[in-house]
Amino acid sequence: MKKIISLLILMVIALSALSIAHADPEQDRKSIIKFFETRFVGIPLSEYVNGVYAYDTIGRESWEAIEEFPPYEIAIEKGQDMWEKPFANGKTYTDCFPDGPAIAQKYPHWDKKQAMVMTLPLAINQCREANGEKLLKYKKGSINNILAYIAFESRGKKTHVVIPKDAPGALAAYEDGKKFFFTRRGQLNFSCATCHIQNAGNRIRSDNLSPALGHTTHFPVYRSKWGAVGTLHRRFTGCNKQVRAKPFKAQGEQYRNLEYFLTYLSNGLELNGPGSRK
Amino acid sequence: MKLVIKLVLIAILGMSSASILAAVSEKDAGIAIAAAEAERKKAASVDSEWRDTGKIIKKAQEAMNKGNYEKALKLANRAEHQGVYGYEQAMSQKDLKMPSYLIH
Ligand code: HEC
Repeated sequence: MKKIISLLILMVIALSALSIAHADPEQDRKSIIKFFETRFVGIPLSEYVNGVYAYDTIGRESWEAIEEFPPYEIAIEKGQDMWEKPFANGKTYTDCFPDGPAIAQKYPHWDKKQAMVMTLPLAINQCREANGEKLLKYKKGSINNILAYIAFESRGKKTHVVIPKDAPGALAAYEDGKKFFFTRRGQLNFSCATCHIQNAGNRIRSDNLSPALGHTTHFPVYRSKWGAVGTLHRRFTGCNKQVRAKPFKAQGEQYRNLEYFLTYLSNGLELNGPGSRK
Repeated sequence: MKLVIKLVLIAILGMSSASILAAVSEKDAGIAIAAAEAERKKAASVDSEWRDTGKIIKKAQEAMNKGNYEKALKLANRAEHQGVYGYEQAMSQKDLKMPSYLIH
């Protein structure tokens, strides 16, 4: 009898471990939200769009002062010019994005035809390519202008990442991004989660660590350290290098899937890009 | 007299064998660099290459080109270890589990 009970207990444990390993996206999102709600009691979910400033009250003061004269304003203006100026063939971005420019909430999404995660920067370059224009670089430079304009026009829309059930590749891409996020990498053996979940709110050197929740709502970001506006994948690159892991290609499969997972976590949170950070 | 000759001979032998033991040939360095490159690629194949491995291999190559085979070997060995560790790091996490702090 005792044996049967202990066997049963073992089975239950095994089953629950299994369900954690293969949790569905909604379950992942909820358990991560619950983690933060428990750690930062009283901070409303909507605050997470402000990154580390959701709880770094000292840093928040200087950040709010900077936001009064936003350093990304020029980028927005230049981006608007880019959006409105016709390509050499006479067409414009509106021909590719008829609902534009407020379209940031549609990305990233699963592209059924191309069977891959489609991000906004990639869609912009596919549009340019189709119209015979030069491709933009994915980390620095003028791609950030058009992204800043689109982000600004999309303010107030909500993050809404869908993982379509009828496309098995979509869930696989999500799982892949999730695995990337939790995998320890580099000589320092850290995962994204080590810093941005487990140690969110703790200091590393002079930085207070931001929560993964809300990470994607405000890109592109003007960073004082960069002295420029940069893309989300530029940020991924820097975070990989910090732990002495070799970064991956911006807009390559690894970072696109990571973006799919990371953005999904912020579902329901308001878009508030472009942002400014230290 | 005989003894002196003997001693000199021993000394010469000793010195030359010591230098044989210490000397790293171009071939040795080349083999070590190739091994390091293979391990780097193996780690990269599982998305677990470390940041500096490629740079260290490049430095090893440069040292070899300058005839500094000993330095080349040392650098190559370091890069090779990084490749091995990077690969093992990925293999040890093949079956992802949610970390315990997220299990409520
Ligand atoms: C060694 C700790 C560490 C690791 C590991 C790490 N980061 Fe970061 N990350 C930082 C620091 C420090 C900053 C700047 C301060 C902040 O906002 O947290 C940052 C900032 C960010 C930001 C910008 C936050 C904002 O509000 O704009 C994003 C996005 C980000 N990291 C994503 C990632 C991802 C994805 C990974 C895994 C590939 C990762 N990080 C791994 C330390 C880390």
